[in-house]
Amino acid sequence: MGDIVFKGINKSFGNTKVIEDLNLTIKDGEFTVLVGASGCGKTTLLRMIAGIGPATSGELLINGENITDIPPGKRDIAMVFQNYAIYPTMSVRGNIEFGLKNNKVPKKERNRLIAEISEIVGLTPYLDRKPSALSGGQRQRVALARAMVKKPSVFLMDEPLSNLDAKLRVAMRSELIELHNQLKTTFVYVTHDQVEAMSMADTIILMDHGKIQQHASPEIIYNDPNNIFTAQFIGTPPMNIIPLNEGIKLGFRPEKIKLSREITNSKFQRKCHLITREMLGSETLYKAILENETIMIKSLEAEFRMGEDVYISIEDTDLYFFAADGNRIRKGDVPDYNKLLKMVGGSWNEE
Amino acid sequence: MKNKGVGKKKSKRNMNLLTPYVMVTPAMCFLIIFTLYPMINLIYLSFFTFKLARPDLKTWVGLLNYKFLLFVKEDFVIALKNTAVYTVAVVFFLILFAVLFAMWLEKDTKLNSFAQRAIFTPHLVAMISCGMIWSWIMDEKGLFNAVLSFFQLPGLRWLNSSATAMISIVIVSVWKSLGYYTLIVISALKSIPTEIFEAAELDNTNGFRKFFKITIPMLSPQLFFLLIVITINSFKVFDTVRTMTGGGPGNSTNVISYYIYHYVFNNNQMGIATSAGVVLMGILMIMTIFYFKAVGKKVYYQ
Repeated sequence: MGDIVFKGINKSFGNTKVIEDLNLTIKDGEFTVLVGASGCGKTTLLRMIAGIGPATSGELLINGENITDIPPGKRDIAMVFQNYAIYPTMSVRGNIEFGLKNNKVPKKERNRLIAEISEIVGLTPYLDRKPSALSGGQRQRVALARAMVKKPSVFLMDEPLSNLDAKLRVAMRSELIELHNQLKTTFVYVTHDQVEAMSMADTIILMDHGKIQQHASPEIIYNDPNNIFTAQFIGTPPMNIIPLNEGIKLGFRPEKIKLSREITNSKFQRKCHLITREMLGSETLYKAILENETIMIKSLEAEFRMGEDVYISIEDTDLYFFAADGNRIRKGDVPDYNKLLKMVGGSWNEE
Repeated sequence: MKNKGVGKKKSKRNMNLLTPYVMVTPAMCFLIIFTLYPMINLIYLSFFTFKLARPDLKTWVGLLNYKFLLFVKEDFVIALKNTAVYTVAVVFFLILFAVLFAMWLEKDTKLNSFAQRAIFTPHLVAMISCGMIWSWIMDEKGLFNAVLSFFQLPGLRWLNSSATAMISIVIVSVWKSLGYYTLIVISALKSIPTEIFEAAELDNTNGFRKFFKITIPMLSPQLFFLLIVITINSFKVFDTVRTMTGGGPGNSTNVISYYIYHYVFNNNQMGIATSAGVVLMGILMIMTIFYFKAVGKKVYYQ
């Protein structure tokens, strides 16, 4: 089908501008996840691709062709809605068949497709039921089957798992990854859940207030965030951010912290006071006070107790610096990156 | 001691058994006095002949009244036919226009909210006033004919011709209650989730199929309700006929309710009137049962 390209897209609802001058390319065949807090414009983008919520201005190209004027039904796309939007008056079969009938697919072919798809999603015994007689997970599958049966070039999914219980959600997550591997078509998936985004995506597009904060693979988003927003959005608990002088901020992930009772010979080392301890099973979560700042520590070691004074140490490569505007300062960005490292080393190391 | 305890328990259980009946007694009293008793009394009275002023002087005639209604006199069968024509026309046009107007007025704009109020207003006006106004509008020298003659078209005799009198009555009835039923359909339309229509668009559904395969099935509970209510109301139509035509010209607009009224107050033949009432009730019962059996199955409930 080709890449989906947004060119200078603007969107406003009444007087509120939701998206301003957005440029974005969604690669063909990739599992792309649009992630962000509610109201960040991710669903708006998805609806633009679907053609059910056109942009106020700008161009939307698929495979180099402007599709702004093509009606939703002719775009060779399928969408799974957050609340499924299955037709409640039709049986499961009727729901799956509806789009095929509209496209004048002959009856024999329709029956073959329905049998094939309902087998894949496990709906075969329920084909003659009405949606009201199905469970949430089954309804979800009907929505998925309705999308799959059209064999579209692009799958759009708007938080399709948010109405399922936690266990089913995890199961469906891996099923969707598998489905993408089989079909090799473009998936555009919207979610507010960073875990979903990280686990499913080839490419993550992280959005905030209608602006793209970072567009990269999950590994890069996690290991090399562009700014404080990205650093804090991805990861649980979020990255610790400590203000240094001149507006510069230091960041480090809770899970990269090493705890010890004695001073080690690590370069970045600091004494802090543990105020809470949450035993999560394989990991333990500590909240600690570090120079008037609260930080979170995630450690495999559960032996430390509330009220204890401990030393934390972090590798140089796990330290992130951010400028006053929130943007990341990378190694090549400043003439002397070591100065920054020394800054935390010098002013923070008590010994 | 032991027996006493058992007795106490027993009386308590009796109390519990009685409680629901005590609770429904007031409602049942109303039902019996105002619905059940008049109904049974109506059937009972239909086997007698008597005059309105002297119900004590009634004579048992058995099924003679019914024989008169259905096989001897012709006017009742005419009234029955008229009622059927009126009902079919009103049900058809009211539901059709209610759905069309609702789809037109669904969007929230200033013009639509004004139009919605405008078509609802007739519902608030007393039928007697409407009858007066429409009698003037449909007079041979009234508004409609003035408009027709402005366009150089021949005038119609509207209420004064047996060919057009019934359709004139239908027009007034539809006009009067259209706003009310439109309102019901609008609220039903607004409760359909928009995602369903968006999904239909993505499924490449044309407007025709969208209307018949999605909109209409989603509206079916309300349309079914409309069907039953309008049918029953149409069968009982009286005030429109009484104020506008008095059943005429000839018997062309004589409907069952008006027929009953006529036999009570003009002919003073209570036996005929009560038996006509029983027939009306029977038809309505059969119709309602038929609707629930035949149409009700196709209704989708959330």
